[in-house]
Amino acid sequence: MADPLDTRDAVLLAPIERTGRGFYWAVAILSLGVLWGAVAYAVQLNEGLGVTGLHQPVSWGFYVTNFVFFIGISHAGTLISAILRLSRAEWRRPITRMAEVITVMVLFIGAGQILVDLGRPDRVMNVIRHGRYQSPLLWDATSISAYLTASLIYLWLPMIPDIAILRDRLGKRKFFYTVLALGWQGTERQHKVLNRAIAVMAVLVIPIAVSVHTVVSFVFSMTLQPMWHSTIFGPYFVVGAIFSGIAALIVAMLIFRKAYGLQDYLRPIHFRYLGQLLLVMSLLWFYFTFTEYLTGYYGGEVEEMKVFWGKFWGPFSLFFWGMVLANFVIPLICLVRLERRTIGKVLTASLSVIVGMWLERFIIVVPTLSYPRLPFPEGIYWPTWVEWGETAASFALFALFYLLFTKVFPIISIWEIQEGREVGLKEVEKRLLTYLPETAEPETVPAKGRL
Amino acid sequence: MALWGMVIDLDRCTGCQACVMACKAENNVPAVGPKEASRERIISWMQVLTEEDKEHPDGKLRFLPRPCLHCDDPPCTKVCPVYATYRDPEGIVAQIYARCIGCRFCMAACPYNAKYFNWHTYQQEGPGQNPDVSVRQKGVVEKCTFCHHRLQKARERALAEHREIEPGEYVPACAEACPARAIVFGDLSDPNSEVSKLARSPRAFRLQEELGTKPKVIYLTEGEARG
Amino acid sequence: MDRPQLASDRRVRMFQWAIAGGFTIFVGGIVTWIIHLIRTAWWLGDVPSASIGISIVAIPVFLVLLGVVLYVCWGLLIDRSER
Repeated sequence: MADPLDTRDAVLLAPIERTGRGFYWAVAILSLGVLWGAVAYAVQLNEGLGVTGLHQPVSWGFYVTNFVFFIGISHAGTLISAILRLSRAEWRRPITRMAEVITVMVLFIGAGQILVDLGRPDRVMNVIRHGRYQSPLLWDATSISAYLTASLIYLWLPMIPDIAILRDRLGKRKFFYTVLALGWQGTERQHKVLNRAIAVMAVLVIPIAVSVHTVVSFVFSMTLQPMWHSTIFGPYFVVGAIFSGIAALIVAMLIFRKAYGLQDYLRPIHFRYLGQLLLVMSLLWFYFTFTEYLTGYYGGEVEEMKVFWGKFWGPFSLFFWGMVLANFVIPLICLVRLERRTIGKVLTASLSVIVGMWLERFIIVVPTLSYPRLPFPEGIYWPTWVEWGETAASFALFALFYLLFTKVFPIISIWEIQEGREVGLKEVEKRLLTYLPETAEPETVPAKGRL
Repeated sequence: MALWGMVIDLDRCTGCQACVMACKAENNVPAVGPKEASRERIISWMQVLTEEDKEHPDGKLRFLPRPCLHCDDPPCTKVCPVYATYRDPEGIVAQIYARCIGCRFCMAACPYNAKYFNWHTYQQEGPGQNPDVSVRQKGVVEKCTFCHHRLQKARERALAEHREIEPGEYVPACAEACPARAIVFGDLSDPNSEVSKLARSPRAFRLQEELGTKPKVIYLTEGEARG
Repeated sequence: MDRPQLASDRRVRMFQWAIAGGFTIFVGGIVTWIIHLIRTAWWLGDVPSASIGISIVAIPVFLVLLGVVLYVCWGLLIDRSER
């Protein structure tokens, strides 16, 4: 049971209790980014989507790329939190809350991208009133709603004991914390209820998360367009999402580790394990990518090859090979040996993957549209300041939401750390014994000499 | 029930683009201006595509007038989230500007690029426009409708005169305007209509037929002049 | 442990049960929406199988989420009032 008077973890409450100048600087800079996007969107609302670089035939560009990218990052929370919880990996304890917050915040940003992309956002209620479930966009709407709801619940439930600590110790916002703590006193019965609920959520949230990025991929693969109409898209997008999610999680962890002095909680070992996971995902991503392009190339279908060469040699080659470099080469080099300079290598790899995965989404969306089947004049897509502004604002808004969260709730789960100290060690020892053969005492074999 | 379709004889087409101009005039298709045109945003419900014959690069260009092909299994209607585009019982794929939310999914899905988007409000309502066709604002998708307003007028006239529509009474603007009479329009469900007879010609082919969209604009390939 | 003041205690309770109630209304709304889409598709003859197929998965998922939230609210709040 989390003892609210345990002062060992006071550093985890410090960001909520005190606010330094760094916070205000961060908010100011992020707000500038958001402002740029707000101005850009206001211009777009006023004049129409023509202020972007979109045209015929490339009618989807940065906004749809961002949509897929941000929804992809939402898989950070699920993988770490749910899967590691279910496999009872003890090293997840300081990480789960950060991961879950990423998921919740980034889903809002991701869903917002579609809203920004609409020609008539004032008619978005038509999707509710006159939706068609044959359309992958409705599958998106349903799936993302389910995921957002589930992630919010999955964030809140494990936070309840920590909210109770804040309720009892903090002093300010007492009413707010009291309401959200749902009367938590740490009794055994309450623990049972909460653990049962968290276990159910951990199991439920995984298929929901897998469905989310699968249906996002279906937006492309359900059309007949060359290099979109591919059966690999579902798993490919999910793997890419988990990949980018881990990278985003690592970056977020490193930022707040520095800002809030959490070096004691987020230790090199955590980054080493996450780095190994990132390496595995990089290899998996490369495997899917290689398969996809080899299949297209070997088949040699005329329309597909137009898109293929556009990516390999043509106007998109810089982005394509940049993507391979950032998603595969750099992470491989950085993450193969992680014993020394773990943090630096893992940070480099993660930043590289974030850029690379954004490029990957771009490489999926735009080239197919750039090479229509019928003999149209080819158009090259150049994004305008409006689209850059919207992209910057999306990142800034996400960071801002995240930052504000850390000021209201502890970004590392206090009670789970304490549980790890008190209960975790013994539990792990018991578990290890069940793996080994059953012998009560070490047997001493009397020296009989060789037979 | 009628099944409206079109046959375009590529041997007759001279690439004069009278069909394009007639369509624009009839349907209030906006002239987007030189700046927007240079940004590849021309709206042209009927568009004449030019195709080079790769085996004879110095030979003739092929002119391909491409309206909306009004597919019988349209990939665009499948993906619309709000019923803004759908196939009506007579085979015309409709576009409802008042419902469209501008997501452009149908544009991404159409293998013929027959759909166009209003990237700005390119025109306001004003004199000189066809009063039978609505003027579109920014943010919605539009495309060829087989001049559906003409069908409505022909129907109403026929109803008022207590008769059926006669063949040839309802033709889209492009078919009417073509000086070479390359575009023939009519009821594909009537086996004796001119359109049906031409559609059965050995020269008939459909664009991207292997995709399974079942387009109702059928092309007649060129004759001996093209090897 | 001191017994907290009754007035603010009741206000807190009201908000807590409001969260549970609000979420019930939310999930009810989602289920209603999905059923509305099924009915629209049926009436228009527009691939109702897609709507029905999706609802077979989506509605139970939302109901389970509702169940979990109500279970936690009930389990934690009841325990408190018994002390």
